[in-house]
Amino acid sequence: MVAAGSRAAGVSEPLPTLLVIPTGIGCEQGGFAGDALPVARLLAAASDCLITHPNVMNGAALYWSDPRIHYVEGWSLDAFAKGSLRLRPQRRQRIGVLFDAGIEPELLLRHRQVLAAARATLGLDIGPELVSDEPLGVRLSQASSGSSWGQLEQPGALLRAGSRLKQAGATAIAVVARFPDDNGSDALQAYRNGSGVDALAGAEAVISHLLVRELQIPCAHAPALAPLAPMAELDSRAAAEELGHTFLPCVLVGLSRAPDLCPASEPWRSQELAIDQVGAVVAPAGALGGETVLACADRGIPIVAVRSNSSLLQVDAAALDLAVVPAADYSAAAGLVLAWREGLDPRALMRPLSAC
Amino acid sequence: MRLQPFELELVIEPQRWQQGRVAACRQALAAHGEPLRWAITAAEQRPEGQWLRLEAVLLV
Repeated sequence: MVAAGSRAAGVSEPLPTLLVIPTGIGCEQGGFAGDALPVARLLAAASDCLITHPNVMNGAALYWSDPRIHYVEGWSLDAFAKGSLRLRPQRRQRIGVLFDAGIEPELLLRHRQVLAAARATLGLDIGPELVSDEPLGVRLSQASSGSSWGQLEQPGALLRAGSRLKQAGATAIAVVARFPDDNGSDALQAYRNGSGVDALAGAEAVISHLLVRELQIPCAHAPALAPLAPMAELDSRAAAEELGHTFLPCVLVGLSRAPDLCPASEPWRSQELAIDQVGAVVAPAGALGGETVLACADRGIPIVAVRSNSSLLQVDAAALDLAVVPAADYSAAAGLVLAWREGLDPRALMRPLSAC
Repeated sequence: MRLQPFELELVIEPQRWQQGRVAACRQALAAHGEPLRWAITAAEQRPEGQWLRLEAVLLV
């Protein structure tokens, strides 16, 4: 949380920073199962206030909770960057859980046991739960760029269920949708070997975007899938998804302290975060074409473009005619954020010194 | 309400691009539906302006 008035002498104020790693485009870091979490932890330490999205933080059964990290779903992150929403940090959310009617009884039981465990072991406030009135009908697809996309056959069923949860007192919503099983496609093998695109990610984003747009409360999604056969050569970055029966624990933890979404038209309250407080946005150098990054560019917020995090896209600063601050990797990006937070010109740290 | 995958290629005049990149993209997509999720997946500076390929899921 960005708290004022309690800092020790010599400790700089937070520099709110956005970390964006687009989902479903095969990023080397963050393209798998929460494998950008170490990056988020480093940037949270450098900035003392990091705003990032579930794709960065969700490692299925693995998660990390840090009060300096604000867990904000993609649609709301875009709205925050455009200035139409502010973020109000919360100590606790009451998490409603929305299950897709397409989930089989045994798989549903596994997910309900995650809810029980989250209450008993983590002390989370798990609120009302319900099953949608018809199967959501998740469909996966791929765009011509190779990015994963997807859609729902019954978006109305999702919105009806979400509205009922909100009316029943949920202040945040975890959605669990039944995704189509993949019984060994080349794309799945590539992903598990660490070289492919997460085929589920695009559809997951559509589900959470739709719900947040409608309800204006924090939402995040976990897919329900039948377990895969163990694979000896599993890439470490994808391994977090194969530790348990569900992907739900990280979503519950992330939502448990997600900030409230406050329309910019409402009066500002202390502790809220607004886009004009943000000091930097950190994004892969070849994936600068998302709405959050472009909105930051429109506002003149410095864009740190991380070269080491390649993906299947080549939408870089030159292609978009954007001014960016390049960083070789996330360690360098954290150094830039820390320098700005301390009021240093990063060029003063380089030799030879460049002219003004 | 229906979700519709959508792709669009366009060229945006340079001054308009520099004045508001998000607004330029959203306006182009809005003619076809409400963009729920979108991104630029290919781009190039060309003599006539900023060339873009947008991939989106629209609400129609």
